[in-house]
Amino acid sequence: MSQSHPDTVSAVLARGRLGIPAVIFFVVAAAAPLTVVAGGATTGYAVTGVVGIPVSYLVVAAVLALFSVGYVAMSRRIVNAGAFYAFVTRGLGRPAGVATAMIAVVAYNAMQIGLYGGFGAVLSQYLNDRGWDTTWWLCALAAWAAVAVLGVLRIDLNGKVLAFMLIGEFVVALIYDVVMVSHPADGIKFDTLAPSHILATGIGAALVTAITGFVGFEGTVVFSEETKDPKRTVPRATYIAVAITGLLYGASAWAMSVATGPDKIVEAASTDGTDLIFNLVSPHLGSSFITVGRVLFITSLFAALLSFHHTVARYLFALGRERVLPAMLGRTSLRTGAPKAGSIVQSVVALGVLVGYAIADADPIVHLFFWITVTGGLGVLVLMTVTSASVIAFFARTANSDGPWRTKIAPVLATLALGAILTVTIQQFDTLLGVESTSPLRWAFPAAYAVAALVGLMWAGVLRSSRPAVYRAIGLGAESATAPIRTPDPVRQPA
Amino acid sequence: MTTPPGADDRPTVHVHTEPMPTADPHTVRGGPHQPMLLADEFFMLAHDDQTGRPRLHDSATNYGLAAALLAELGAAGRIHFNRGQLVVQDHRPPEDWLQHMVLARLIAEPQHTATRTWLAYLSATAHEQVATRLWQGGKVVPTQSRRLFRTTTIHVPTDINVAAWSWARLSQKLRRHEHLKPFDLALAGIARSVRLDQFILDGAPLSVSAHLRRLLEAAPPPMRDLLADLDTAIGSAVLSHRT
Repeated sequence: MSQSHPDTVSAVLARGRLGIPAVIFFVVAAAAPLTVVAGGATTGYAVTGVVGIPVSYLVVAAVLALFSVGYVAMSRRIVNAGAFYAFVTRGLGRPAGVATAMIAVVAYNAMQIGLYGGFGAVLSQYLNDRGWDTTWWLCALAAWAAVAVLGVLRIDLNGKVLAFMLIGEFVVALIYDVVMVSHPADGIKFDTLAPSHILATGIGAALVTAITGFVGFEGTVVFSEETKDPKRTVPRATYIAVAITGLLYGASAWAMSVATGPDKIVEAASTDGTDLIFNLVSPHLGSSFITVGRVLFITSLFAALLSFHHTVARYLFALGRERVLPAMLGRTSLRTGAPKAGSIVQSVVALGVLVGYAIADADPIVHLFFWITVTGGLGVLVLMTVTSASVIAFFARTANSDGPWRTKIAPVLATLALGAILTVTIQQFDTLLGVESTSPLRWAFPAAYAVAALVGLMWAGVLRSSRPAVYRAIGLGAESATAPIRTPDPVRQPA
Repeated sequence: MTTPPGADDRPTVHVHTEPMPTADPHTVRGGPHQPMLLADEFFMLAHDDQTGRPRLHDSATNYGLAAALLAELGAAGRIHFNRGQLVVQDHRPPEDWLQHMVLARLIAEPQHTATRTWLAYLSATAHEQVATRLWQGGKVVPTQSRRLFRTTTIHVPTDINVAAWSWARLSQKLRRHEHLKPFDLALAGIARSVRLDQFILDGAPLSVSAHLRRLLEAAPPPMRDLLADLDTAIGSAVLSHRT
């Protein structure tokens, strides 16, 4: 019927739609590749003492690609697809959805706040090397102030700036990799890529370190309504993002082990910390290459900080709109449209943690950057495991024509793989933190998520009995506005 | 000039005591005494009554104007809103050229029925169109404004009392817990969806916001339907924002 009518509506709405490269740039920039290569991988070697970091990145990339199959397929059929808890609500029910939402709020906050430690330490060292006299927490607070202001003003890094930075980071990392591999300590060895590491002790720690490096890729589905062809653009962008970041991380972590020798990588990482990659290449490259790399490392950390800040603010906004969390969080700034309340709450929480760390004089890299971001990574791992199970449950109940691979086989395999990683991670959390196996800390961090989930479950119960209208709208996000007057239709026809 | 146009039943409010800017007689076409339409009033509400600078961020203004244009057609009985769908009921062309234009598109492209789709479509052009309508009515004058290397066009109200009338009226009626007529209810509803209620009810006790909420909950179903879609559109714009 549409053939006989002009279609200026579709033409107008198609303006400014995103293609595959744009979506990739947005999500990979949030993952901040140079932060992972120079910060995450090196600290991962040092803290966990596991040499299988490179192979972990590749294994995790494969698992996440598998996870994405069902995740992307389901994202086209639900509203509010930008948030994991929307998947869980539709797949496993509303109580599980609220529990997931609580876990997500804790996990993304942890990702963001932990990054302040990395940013503060790296920037202060960079400045101190140039004759300044500053401390990590001063630099972290400066970044905090900038993020707090940009958050309320709703200023995100411009797509072109992000693309420019991202390409710079990739080029620098690849040049460094080539330099490191061409100057091996004792011949080019592939020890750290051996699949046997997957069964070695401490691999759980290495795998969750790797997962932490990918967090952000799940954001592709947020853009589904803004892409030229959601059916094609979103899945492809997701797979490509996972593949290129996985290869870059794996290759870079491996190249470092080649340059130090596989048997010395843990020791070298412990001594040099986040300087390792720069120290390894500096004898063979001009100093300007090193400076560019260090500056990009800092900007990459900042981009990740800002990106996760916006993620948390939007989660709080969506939950406030649903009134699952106080409705005040659903408020936006008049002039900028920023999710102002959510942004301020995130900034206040971050400030509290930063001040606590500064007073306690804890190590910004190990205790803040690594511990807290991998705890965030653990939370996202929980989210992805539950989401993957939700995909199976959802498609088992929903008529579809997506075929068994997308709706059953891949989601089941992904759930099993993620569940296995989750189990070993929690078993080996002492290795991950680098603490004694008797330390209560090994339970304290995972327990935070158990508490969050429990609070979510109980809150869902309270909502069901005391505010049924709110309970019905759980998981609808911005769409919850229509819930009181229409039967909510959370399942939509795929675009 | 202080009596707002088309408002025989409305009390006269002097909201500003300073001398009023006099409108250039050459720019006044149609005269400022023509009745204001819903989108016109929302436009005034969303911009400063003196300088014409926006009070709101662009996407909220644009969506609000789009909803106001649809609500004009709804009030004129041309279209109906039901469960997120927009149904054309009456093909007769409206008198106003902008309403006519919007209705013509709705009729010409019946393959699009979702209110959300039409809100998104109209939001792309609504600002310019409503500004033009106001200019032709002599209510605003487009003025070039330079700010930070960018030249933008702002629409400066010709009569500050006409411009301030919408929020002054809503503010007063709501603070007195009065009942609102459909026109004012729609205006207040759209204002609330774009969060302009923060501005209109600035400093008012919480019971006033509760009064507005109750009024909107009791609004006619088609109006609530349109406002729910507007809420969703604005919320989604927050969630998928990028620069």
